[in-house]
Amino acid sequence: MALLDIRNLSIDISTAQGKVRVIDKASLTIVDGSIHGLVGESGSGKSLIAKAILGLHNANWTVTADRMFLGATDLTKLSANDRRKIMGKEIAMIFQHPRSYLDPSKKIFSQIKEVLPTTSVKKLFLSKIKRVPEQSTQQRIKELLHKVGIQNDQTVLASYPHELSEGICQKVMIAMAIANNPSLIIADEPTTAMEAVTRAQIFRLLYKLNQLHSTTILLLSNNFGSISNLSDYITLIYSGQTVESGSYKQIINSPMHPYTEAMIKTILEFDESISHKSQLYTLPGNIPSANQLPIGCRLGPRCPRAQRSCVTNPEPLNFKGHVISCHFPTLDENQHANTSQRK
Amino acid sequence: MLINNEFNEEKIQSPLQYTWSIFKRNSLAITAMWGSLILILITLFADYIVPYAPSTQYVKHLLLPPYWVEGGNSAHILGTDDLGRDSLARLIQGIQLTLGGALAITIAVSILGSVIGATAALTKGLKASILHHLLDALLIIPTLLTALILIVMFGPSYENSLIAVSLSLLPQFIRGIYISIENELNKQYIISLRLDGATNVRLLRFGIFPNILEPIITLLNRIFTMAILEISTLGFLGFGTQFLDVELGALIASSIVLIYSSPWLVFFPGLAIFIIILVFNIFTEGLRHAVIEGEDL
Amino acid sequence: MLNYLFRRLNLLFITAFILSVIAFILTYWSSKNTLADADAGYIIQYVKYMSAILQGEWGLSSIDQQPMLIKGLTAFASTLELCFIAFITANIIAIPLGIFAGLNRNSLLDYLIMTIALIGLALPVFWLAVITTMLPRLLGIPLPIDGGISPVFEIPVVSGFILLDTLLAADTYQLDAFFNRLAHLILPSSVLSLFLITEIIRLTRHSITMVMKSNYVKAAYAKGLSRKEIVFRHVLKNALPPIIHQLRLQLSTIISFAMVIEIVFSLQGSGVWLLSSIKEGDYLALPTAILIISGFILLSSIFIDILLMIISPIKRKSLYVD
Ligand SMILES: Nc1ncnc2c1ncn2[C@@H]1O[C@H](COP(=O)(O)OP(=O)(O)OP(=O)(O)O)[C@@H](O)[C@H]1O
Ligand code: SF4
Ligand SMILES: [Mg+2]
Repeated sequence: MALLDIRNLSIDISTAQGKVRVIDKASLTIVDGSIHGLVGESGSGKSLIAKAILGLHNANWTVTADRMFLGATDLTKLSANDRRKIMGKEIAMIFQHPRSYLDPSKKIFSQIKEVLPTTSVKKLFLSKIKRVPEQSTQQRIKELLHKVGIQNDQTVLASYPHELSEGICQKVMIAMAIANNPSLIIADEPTTAMEAVTRAQIFRLLYKLNQLHSTTILLLSNNFGSISNLSDYITLIYSGQTVESGSYKQIINSPMHPYTEAMIKTILEFDESISHKSQLYTLPGNIPSANQLPIGCRLGPRCPRAQRSCVTNPEPLNFKGHVISCHFPTLDENQHANTSQRK
Repeated sequence: MLINNEFNEEKIQSPLQYTWSIFKRNSLAITAMWGSLILILITLFADYIVPYAPSTQYVKHLLLPPYWVEGGNSAHILGTDDLGRDSLARLIQGIQLTLGGALAITIAVSILGSVIGATAALTKGLKASILHHLLDALLIIPTLLTALILIVMFGPSYENSLIAVSLSLLPQFIRGIYISIENELNKQYIISLRLDGATNVRLLRFGIFPNILEPIITLLNRIFTMAILEISTLGFLGFGTQFLDVELGALIASSIVLIYSSPWLVFFPGLAIFIIILVFNIFTEGLRHAVIEGEDL
Repeated sequence: MLNYLFRRLNLLFITAFILSVIAFILTYWSSKNTLADADAGYIIQYVKYMSAILQGEWGLSSIDQQPMLIKGLTAFASTLELCFIAFITANIIAIPLGIFAGLNRNSLLDYLIMTIALIGLALPVFWLAVITTMLPRLLGIPLPIDGGISPVFEIPVVSGFILLDTLLAADTYQLDAFFNRLAHLILPSSVLSLFLITEIIRLTRHSITMVMKSNYVKAAYAKGLSRKEIVFRHVLKNALPPIIHQLRLQLSTIISFAMVIEIVFSLQGSGVWLLSSIKEGDYLALPTAILIISGFILLSSIFIDILLMIISPIKRKSLYVD
């Protein structure tokens, strides 16, 4: 069952040089209760997709999609008022640069308090039958902070965002995101600029959320290695185009897209012998900048397998949920042919 | 819809072209740009385009209204004043003195202010500290008061009023430039430029200047607007041009007694000031927009 | 916090010192050699000058031999009264308009508001004042256009703020004097407030736009807050400090304009006082005006700074008035 189903999402940003299509027909299907990794290099448009899902776009963006459903609600046809009702309750977002997403003039306490429902009817009802003791807001906020691993809650709650470190701000954002037990959490690189211990803590927290509350998590990252072992499904995005998407096993064991193969090769495995001072594997060239995108398949100029037909957009091919957008995918028979070439 | 251009190279523009391509989409700003150009041309060639010498007195035509009003005379399109001098000629001369003065002040202040502001931003320690405290003190003296003091000390004349206005606007400009440079200096890319061994001049020219264009345009616009207003205010109070040459503010002041019998004499110079400020403001606003890529006002 | 206060006080003293030096030079210049013994060094003369100033001996006006300090303060109080009324009116009108324009950018009303603001900026204040003096006669509105209050009222100067003084003198004239003063202020303060309105609209709109574009407003949308909640909870509080900050920088311009307007309307105040003093060669008015007006601006700048620090938690690190 797909919780979030996006087909052919395109985002055009109008600039002085005309419209730039920064997201080109991206498709994303997120299975309910899974952790879905969206992996792409910096600038590939991950954050843009996340913002488009939430409807947080600026005036100069044009967002078009054939289909954009969260469960049974059509996100493209949502009125501002209806969208407001699902924000924070159905979907929550953990933003990339957490401190800038916290109001600088308000203490953390009041910012968290804002997310909590004032008096939800459901809870009132529950408390009638089950006799759950009424939790004070204070208590609930404290619990939330403990959940995300903030111990000195009093100090944090009485601080302004600029007095806290980026890592704590990130945890506060996470606390706000999970406050209402949303069905989907979009975590935009939740662990960049964080040291290993905190990173592990946050990943563990997200994992626990997923396991205990079966919260669906869309995890955006630019690092294939760091999230691949956490995710049930992975979608790779290159320069605004989704290139390959499938379950963790499918992607790792039988990558079919040249880009995915390259990404997997960049994960170093130290048990394999890497000869001294040998070049590590990368694709030639750089990710193109937004004002000079190649036509057709955007990997074209860097792709080892590119041919003339690559100047048209490849149609996505679906092999049992393993979706590839490539004219010349690696087919199952010779899937390991490339990997074995590695010295 | 054609999304991707096959020859992308064609689309990559230099920053100047880029700014221009945004600017020219704004038809109001383009109009204002031509307007500003015309006004500047009037200032430069005022002596050649005036219909009559501004001081010639046509004693047979005293206090003529503009020609479209009853009793007007098409020889004097905007009418004449109480001494029979042609209003249009005097207006053009007034524009020349006011606008020309303001432009001269803007140029002088911006050159001097940039040098001092940049030096202040790049030096540290006692010298900078003294400069700042001096600026703080100068900034809180109302400009009109500064101008009055200078004029009282050096005597009222057009040149002195220009000097007074420049000196009263200079601290504002220095402070503005200083703050913009200081803001940029604290950014990481400047630190990396520094580590690359860039000299101060190089740092300013290639690192800072392109990034503070927007505040500079705003500042220049502000200085220019204030210069126009202050020159004409001083003229109006009688501290500017003396005797024959009359700038716009003085023109208003000299006609104020005639306001009921011949309101045109008060009306037109004010309108001229209004149009000058309006046109230049729309122009710079458009420019500013283009520089920040139409992102925001 | 203490550190911040200390820095501001430091600034206060140094700036005040520089102001006093300027005033001293002016006094010295205006009185040529009459100031004590010319042989004594400048420093000694400055110290003497300062001690006289601190004891309230600011010299006498050469016109009517009245003490300068009293004349200056009375005149400036009247100017302040004008500024104050214009400022209050302008805020009441401009802040809602600016907020509206900032929240509904590029709407028709936004364009309308901004056009009016631009026109207001481009109109030279003194000319507008001159045109306004014509209005009562042209439109038949019975509003006075010259003087600060009818000469029939003899109001003893108590505070210098004539509105207050008329209230204090209420037992002689009931409220007639008060309303008469108010009527005299209507046109001048309208002219001044027009300028202020345009400034405040522009500042407010800009500030609101900046905040609306910020990430934390996006986050507030993502929290599921309504637009109204966002504006009241997050936008206004963050948009206010930059507006106050910018307005503080305009203080001296506002006072300049107020003085010009006073001159046009022959409203007693610093403008008229300075102009007539200069015309009659009483140059001692200049240093007096510097000390009073700039001293006022200095004190209020620091007051506003501290106020800003209290309402906006991101402590300003700037050392200098900017
Ligand atoms: N407002 C904008 N105007 C123009 N281009 C934009 C804008 N916002 C984003 N882009 C372009 O969209 C592309 C994708 O940006 P995005 O922030 O989604 O990248 P990302 O994948 O999140 O990268 P990172 O890992 O660094 O966060 C960028 O290359 C950028 O050029
Ligand atoms: S479509 Fe062509 S260019 Fe794109 S990845 Fe496949 S082979 Fe390479
Ligand atoms: Mg991102």
